[in-house]
Amino acid sequence: MTSLRARLLAAASAVLAAFFVLTAAVLDGAFRDSTLQAQRDKLEGLVYSLLAAARTDANGDLTVEPNDISDRRLVQPASGLQAALFDEQARLVWTSAEFLEVPPPQMPGVGQWAFHQLRKPPVFSLSYGLRWIDLQDDPKRYTFVVLEDATSFERQLRTYRRELWLWLAAAAGGLLLVQYLVLRWGLAPVRRLVNELNAVERGERSEIHGSYPDELVSLTQGLNAMIRSERNQQTRYRNALGDLAHSLKTPLAVLFGMSEEPRVPEELRSPLREQVGHMQQITDYQLRKAATAGRRTLAEPIAPAPIAAKITQALTKVYADREVKFELSAPPQFRMRADNGDLFELFGNLLDNACKYGGGRIRIRISRDDQDNVIEVDDDGPGFPEEAQELLQRGVRADTQKPGQGIGLAAVYEIVKAYEGRIVLARSEWGGGRVTVRLPI
Amino acid sequence: MRALVIEDDPHLRGQVTQMFADEGFAVDQAADGENGLYMATEYPVDIAIVDLGLPGTSGIDIIRKARKAGRSFPILILTARDGWQSKVEGLEAGADDYLVKPFHREELLARARALLRRSGGWAQPQLTCGPVTVDTTAKTVTVNERPVELTAYEFKVLEYLILHAGEVVSKSTLTEHLYAEEDERDSNVIEVFIRRLRTKIDPDGTLAPITTLRGSGYRWDLPRS
Repeated sequence: MTSLRARLLAAASAVLAAFFVLTAAVLDGAFRDSTLQAQRDKLEGLVYSLLAAARTDANGDLTVEPNDISDRRLVQPASGLQAALFDEQARLVWTSAEFLEVPPPQMPGVGQWAFHQLRKPPVFSLSYGLRWIDLQDDPKRYTFVVLEDATSFERQLRTYRRELWLWLAAAAGGLLLVQYLVLRWGLAPVRRLVNELNAVERGERSEIHGSYPDELVSLTQGLNAMIRSERNQQTRYRNALGDLAHSLKTPLAVLFGMSEEPRVPEELRSPLREQVGHMQQITDYQLRKAATAGRRTLAEPIAPAPIAAKITQALTKVYADREVKFELSAPPQFRMRADNGDLFELFGNLLDNACKYGGGRIRIRISRDDQDNVIEVDDDGPGFPEEAQELLQRGVRADTQKPGQGIGLAAVYEIVKAYEGRIVLARSEWGGGRVTVRLPI
Repeated sequence: MRALVIEDDPHLRGQVTQMFADEGFAVDQAADGENGLYMATEYPVDIAIVDLGLPGTSGIDIIRKARKAGRSFPILILTARDGWQSKVEGLEAGADDYLVKPFHREELLARARALLRRSGGWAQPQLTCGPVTVDTTAKTVTVNERPVELTAYEFKVLEYLILHAGEVVSKSTLTEHLYAEEDERDSNVIEVFIRRLRTKIDPDGTLAPITTLRGSGYRWDLPRS
C-alpha cells in the first residue's frame, strides 16, 4: 500500500462491503420475519374459520362441516392448503380434501399456538390446542393442524434476496466509483504538486507556482523556501569565498609587487617571487574548487545563452585590439540545470582562451542530446598541442608566452568534473581548437 | 599622462602608485570609494586603476557613476575575486579591462599603456606619424629612423599630443595631465618643452609637427601612417 489513493480506496471498500453485508443481513431478516408473521396470521385466521365450522357429530366427536368452511381451498385438492383435526390420542378425526403427508401431530396446550416451518415437505404448520365443551358437559381435547405449502413463500424470499443483493451490489459499485472519482479529484493537487516538484528537479521550473488548496499551501511555501534557501546558501557561500579571496589576494599582490621591486636585492626577490607564486597557485586552485557548485538537485534552471552573450560582450571590450567575432547559437528558450556562477566560469574560461589563442573567429554552440547538455566552442587559432589531455589534468600552460591557457582549462575541467560531465579537446573545422563540454542533464 | 589609483590597501596603493610614477605618470591616489569617485569625476584623469573590493562606494559604483558623469577615460579594474561574474559586472559597468590580483608589474603597465593607446585609436605600441615614431613601451622616439634624445617631460608632452593628434590641447590641459597635484605647475614651462620638441624632432623646420594656436593651445598635425 504505497499509494495514498490505494490506501483510501481499500479502506473505503472494506467499510462499504461491511456496511452492505450487514444491511443485507438486517433487511433479509426483517423481510423474512414479517413474511413469516403474515403467514402465521393467515393460518391463524384459517384455524378460526375452521373452529367456526366445527360441529359435534353423532358420536359426540368433533368434526368440521365442509360446507361451512369459508376458505374454499380447503375443500379442493391440490390447493396447497391442508387442515386436520386430531383428538387427544393424536388420532386423525377430520381432514381437509387433501391431507397426504401427516406430520407428527403437534400438541400445544389448550389455547396455545405452535407455528413451525417444516423442511420436508416444505410447509408451514400451525397447531392449535383446544378443549371442546359440548352439551354433554364432557370436555374433550383436540388439536387443529393447518398446513400451507411453503414453496411460494420460498420463491418470494428467493426473489426478494436476489433483488436485494442485486441492488445492493449495484449501489456498492456506484458508491465505489463515486468514491474513486472523489479521491481522484481530492488528491489531484497532490499529484500536481509532485509533477511540479519533478519539473523543478528536472530544471524546467525554478519554483512551485501553482495555486493549491489551503492544506497544501504551507507545504508548497515550505518547499519554495527550502529551494530558495538552498540557492541563497550557494550565493552566500560564494560571497564568503569571494571575501576570503579578496583578503588573501591583496596581501599576495603586495608581496608580489615587492618581489618585483628593483630596490629589493635580487637574492631576496627570487625566492620571494617563487614562494608567492606558489601561494597564489594554491589559493587560486582551492578557492576555485570550493566555489564550484556542481550538480545540485534543486538548482535553478539557467539560460546559458545570455551568460555566454554577456561574456562575449565583455571579452569584445577586453580584446578590442583583436576584433574578435563571436557567433552564438542556442535553441530558443534553452535552459539547463546548472549553477549561474559555474556557467560564468565555464564560458569565461573557454571564451577567454579562444580569444587569447584564436585568430579572432569564435563559434559557440549550445545544444542538448538525449543525455547531455552540450557546449561547443570553436576557434580558428593553431589548435591544442599534442599533450592537450595532460593540459586538462594539471594547469600546464600551453604557451608560456600567453599565461593562463592551462589555468583556464583546468578550471573548466574542475567544473565539468563537478557535474560528472566530459570534456573533449579536438580540432575545429577552421583548423583551430574545439572544446566540447558535455554536462549530463 | 595622469593616472588615478583607487585601492584601499595602503601597501598595494603605494606600490601601484610607484609603478606608474616610475613610468612617468602623474598619479592621484584615493583610499576609499568616496574620494575615488570625487577624483574620477572631477580630476583630469587619463586612466584609472580601480580596485573592485572597496569599502564604502564599491568599485563598480565608481565606474558606473563616472561613466554616467560623462567621463570616458579608460578604466582598468583590479579584482581579487577572480570569478567571471565580477569581471563581467565591472566591464558592463564601463571598465575597459581587468587584472586579477596578484599581478606582474609589467602586465599592469602593459595593459594600462594598451588602454591609453586604444583610447587614442592606436593599435600598436609604436605610434607613427610620417617620419616620427614614438614607442610608448620603450619610451624612445625616432625621426626618419634616427633616434632622438628627449627628457622625461619632453617625452610626456610629445606622447600626450600624439595620442590626442588633431585635437587642440591647451597649456593648462597639458600641465594638468603631466604634473601630479602637489608638483609646482607653471604653464610657461610647457612653452619651453614645445620649443625644445620642435627643435629636436624637426631641426630643419620642414615637418612642422606641432601647430601653435594663439590663445587656445597646441595641435599635433602630422597625419598617422
